Amino acid sequence: MSILYFLVQQTMFFSIPLLIVALGGMFSERGGVINIALEGIMIFGAFTGVVFINIVQKSGSAINGQVLLMLGVLVAGAVGVVVSLTHAYAAINLKADQVISGTAINMLAPAFAIFVGRRISERGTQQVHFEDWFRFESVPALGRIPVIGDLLFKNAYLTTYIGFLILLVAWLMLNKTRFGLRLRSCGEHPQAADSVGINVYKMRYIGVMISGFLAGVGGLVFVIPTSREFNATVSGYGFLALAVLIFGQWRPLRILGAAFFFGLLKAIAASSSGLPILKDLSITAYFYKMMPFIVTLVVLTFTSKKSQAPRAEGIPYDKGVR
Amino acid sequence: MDYIIEMVGITKRFPGIVANDNITLQLKKGEIHALLGENGAGKSTLMSVLFGLYQPEEGVIKKDGEVVKVNGPNDATKLGIGMVHQHFKLVHNFTVLENIVLGCETTKRGLLSMDEAREKVVAFSKEYGLEIEPDALISDITVGMQQRTEILKMLYRENEILIFDEPTAVLTPQEIDDLMNIMKNLVAQGKSILFITHKLNEIKAVADRCSVLRKGKYIGTVDVAEASKEELSEMMVGRKVSLEVDKPEMEPGEVILEVSGLTVKNKITGKNVVDNVGFRVRAGEIVCVAGIDGNGQSELVYALSGLVKPDAGSIVINGKEISHETVRARGGDGMAHIPEDRHKHGLVLDYNLAYNLVLQRYFEPKFQKHGFLDYGEVFAYADTLIENFDIRSGQGAKTVVRAMSGGNQQKAIIAREIDRDPKLLIAVQPTRGLDVGAIEYIHERLIEERGKGKGILLVSLELEEALGVSDRTLVIFEGQIVADVDPKEVTYQELGLYMAGSKRGEVVS
Amino acid sequence: MTELEKKKGIAGLLDMSSALSSFAAIAVGLVVGFVVLLISNPGNAVAGFLTLLSSGLGDLKSTGQVLYYATPIIMTGLSVAFASKTGLFNIGASGQFILGAYCAILVSVKLAFLPGWMLCPLAIVAAVAAGAVWGAIPGLLKAWRNVNEVIACIMMNYIGMYLVNYLIIQTVYDQRRNITLAVPRHANVPTLGLDQLFRVGNSPSSANGGIFIAIIGAILIYIVLEKTTFGFEIKACGYNKDAAEYAGINSSRGIIMAMAVAGALAGLGGALLFLSGAGKGIDVVDTLAQEGFNGIPVALLALNNPIGVIFSGLFIAYLTVGGFNMQLYNYAPQAVEIIVSIIIYFSAAALLIKGFIQKIGKRGKEAEEKGGGDE
Repeated sequence: MSILYFLVQQTMFFSIPLLIVALGGMFSERGGVINIALEGIMIFGAFTGVVFINIVQKSGSAINGQVLLMLGVLVAGAVGVVVSLTHAYAAINLKADQVISGTAINMLAPAFAIFVGRRISERGTQQVHFEDWFRFESVPALGRIPVIGDLLFKNAYLTTYIGFLILLVAWLMLNKTRFGLRLRSCGEHPQAADSVGINVYKMRYIGVMISGFLAGVGGLVFVIPTSREFNATVSGYGFLALAVLIFGQWRPLRILGAAFFFGLLKAIAASSSGLPILKDLSITAYFYKMMPFIVTLVVLTFTSKKSQAPRAEGIPYDKGVR
Repeated sequence: MDYIIEMVGITKRFPGIVANDNITLQLKKGEIHALLGENGAGKSTLMSVLFGLYQPEEGVIKKDGEVVKVNGPNDATKLGIGMVHQHFKLVHNFTVLENIVLGCETTKRGLLSMDEAREKVVAFSKEYGLEIEPDALISDITVGMQQRTEILKMLYRENEILIFDEPTAVLTPQEIDDLMNIMKNLVAQGKSILFITHKLNEIKAVADRCSVLRKGKYIGTVDVAEASKEELSEMMVGRKVSLEVDKPEMEPGEVILEVSGLTVKNKITGKNVVDNVGFRVRAGEIVCVAGIDGNGQSELVYALSGLVKPDAGSIVINGKEISHETVRARGGDGMAHIPEDRHKHGLVLDYNLAYNLVLQRYFEPKFQKHGFLDYGEVFAYADTLIENFDIRSGQGAKTVVRAMSGGNQQKAIIAREIDRDPKLLIAVQPTRGLDVGAIEYIHERLIEERGKGKGILLVSLELEEALGVSDRTLVIFEGQIVADVDPKEVTYQELGLYMAGSKRGEVVS
Repeated sequence: MTELEKKKGIAGLLDMSSALSSFAAIAVGLVVGFVVLLISNPGNAVAGFLTLLSSGLGDLKSTGQVLYYATPIIMTGLSVAFASKTGLFNIGASGQFILGAYCAILVSVKLAFLPGWMLCPLAIVAAVAAGAVWGAIPGLLKAWRNVNEVIACIMMNYIGMYLVNYLIIQTVYDQRRNITLAVPRHANVPTLGLDQLFRVGNSPSSANGGIFIAIIGAILIYIVLEKTTFGFEIKACGYNKDAAEYAGINSSRGIIMAMAVAGALAGLGGALLFLSGAGKGIDVVDTLAQEGFNGIPVALLALNNPIGVIFSGLFIAYLTVGGFNMQLYNYAPQAVEIIVSIIIYFSAAALLIKGFIQKIGKRGKEAEEKGGGDE
């Protein structure tokens, strides 16, 4: 049983950032802008979030751990928004190739994190450390519920619950609000949106900015439970989130499923040598690491002909062309 | 001052061209006003000015006699102007209702609330006889219902001035009649309609007055009741146009193309989009496939030309079964193809003219040796075609085709296909989007090829073309050939019934 | 007439406005780079920046290192450029590169008993084949199932990386150093004396014959694209797949072939780097090979022109060497990556700016011919 608890807890650590970032990607793409810069934005968010936490912790402040985490999340999200604006500007105003501008950000992010990390860390190394003030041993009351308490409310982080909150809000926003309807119309048929007076550029900007916020948050949420330092990488999680987005067919609830499936595979990969059952299977950890990417390719192979991808995705909107 | 909207003295210039030259258009309240002009006459530019997409250099827009400033579509909406675009502005995976409310949604506590909107839409739909299913997805409904959705969008916004841009191109003759009734109904309820078209019959059927544009200039406004079709046509084109096509009598020769049992299934739905089609084309004969867009014409042509593999049936050219051959092999067997969409299929727009002219032949020994292209031959050949077919372009064979005019692009395709000296020429909507001069040129060329004993299969959506140019007219409806008629004997009305599927003729293949 | 045409064709190659937009992107990248240096350590910024700009030619060894670094990224740049001609964005060069590198190392270690004149070419062929296969898969998926090649390539990068790490551990693993086993000396590409030609004192550079292979590769690719019917076909597919199919060109085959060639080029790049005699091996870490991504700016700056790729590859390598030497002034070499990413960003935009200028120029003419603003 304890193996199950361990696996579920681990799965949470890996799934939640995927969920958050993929939902971010969803807002960008449903508005019509491909955002392969998710990886880079995660790095920016994680880096600044960790640096912020590091500075506060070293200042001798007695701030509550959860409050600090929330502030860190906001910092990471804000930086994500700023970075995503450069992508939005290239993609929307300059009508540049969205894949190329995303690639530029992905390349910039680790270089920036290393360059600045070395500048600001006292030993001149690129790693930025932080202390874990954030983990709950057990959530008061909820942690004592049998089974469920052990699964979901022990050895957990506040960020897990934030992830679910984000899912709820994202689902509501996309499907039940005026904003969601308008955003989706910009991703499917921007000329139609424009003809009824919707500002396509503005909607797309908002979509990209939300993706930037969530990717920045996701970066920090990824680092906090799995490490004690940030080393200028999020291990391809941004790209994995892109795979989650596609596997989830650009829909919030399916994205949830995809994120947990991929998170589980990651958790198995990370602990395959430590868990007796898996060890006996003697499947290499590399197999589990490859699985999410292989599965995504397979899914793409069978869905691309009638893909649910937003129709106008990746196509710059030019007002002149009606 | 009974004009609800006026555009007075509008002049709009683009570098090197005056798209609108001192144009005046005055719409009376409660009238149907036709705006007539050929492709390139300046109608779209004028509408763009009205919607604030372009700012004119000269001229003003007046609403109820007051000068107004239109800086964008939102301003136009505020003035009560709405438009049904030629290509519908509908989101395919939204419902009818969602499309109608998009842009002016009502919300309760931050969440969309569709109930009021639904009531309002249902009420309008009853009032004006616009039958719709509010919760159906756009991708699941007919073109006619999509158009009604567009009309409801305008009504929902309480627009007073309704603009219809070439609304009948996608409709069957019977649907066109329905639309005409809807338009009359709207006017009776106090709306004013601007009806953009180049079809004279429709103007005669519904319009009160008609303004004519030609090459960016304002020609005049007439009362439709007092003008004949011939007069309107002359105003539009600038000279007398013979509505008849001259062609000598010919006795068809041996069978060039024989199609039988040809069936193509839709890959997703499994439905037969081309359904057991059989017909023949003989030497020296122009056979036209007429029908409403989307009844399987494209798929039929794809199957004939080899772009799509048929699911059943045979295609025989000069006695040779070719239904399993590649596109290129069919070319070798004597098939040439002027495609429906010159930008999608006909041309590589970013290649120069010479490359496009050898697009079907670059692999022939004349143009390449051991896999290396002989540019000397390629350009020499291109220059010959340019001269023979009078293709005009900025820098001759080196011109990037994207920079050429539509008419000359089409000439390039026709030159390329005719010069392959095919036995069978498939021409799909060869005159689409061209002005009368270019249309006449293309018709002459087709008739010339017929005179040389070629078999010609013409696919057309224009009834006039279908009946005027061809020797025999087949009507396609939902993938089936439902009639095989002599164009000299059939009437428009009869053809319309075939096209709408409400009548079937005897098909002799 | 025809001679004239040919000459004009070659002149058109070096389209000035295009070249200008690349230079503009470089200039912006360098300015931003300087600002970064200035902010992070104002005192050393000027000296550091001058080092960055000049040290690639500062001494012969550095110049040799430029050649060494340029070799693999010219190949991955060619890979990206070639795929672009077919309208595909090959962001998968990283995976193709590492597969090629692994196969080259595998062959050279396992067949070390063969003489050098056999071993080296064999290792290279293995790399080319592996890269081609890895590139052909996204091509196949694109042609067969219309799978977006960008996403497929990203997936293939990660699959390739994990697969190679797994295979290394199974076959050619130096557990102590967590790296591939050393490539036997005689498997390396001959240096042709370049290492000794480009040296400082007794310290040779890593320059080797690989650079010539890269240059010859670029010229061959140029010839294939511009002079052959195959090039005519794949460019037609790239510009307009539907029109190519209509004209009887097998676009599926074109796409698969183009991606296979692109993969082969990247795979060759992997071989040339690890058979360079510089003693490099593949580290067994979960990180994508950066050389593959560096192919993107190389191709972009060259505007996908294969001959241009030689120069843009040398330029990026030149900056890389400058970046290493900048460490003297206590700047992390990542400053160069920052500059390169800015260059990518602005070259994406620069293409647009160039297009914009041309459009303005063209609109007049077009309107004239069309005789109106209508559709």
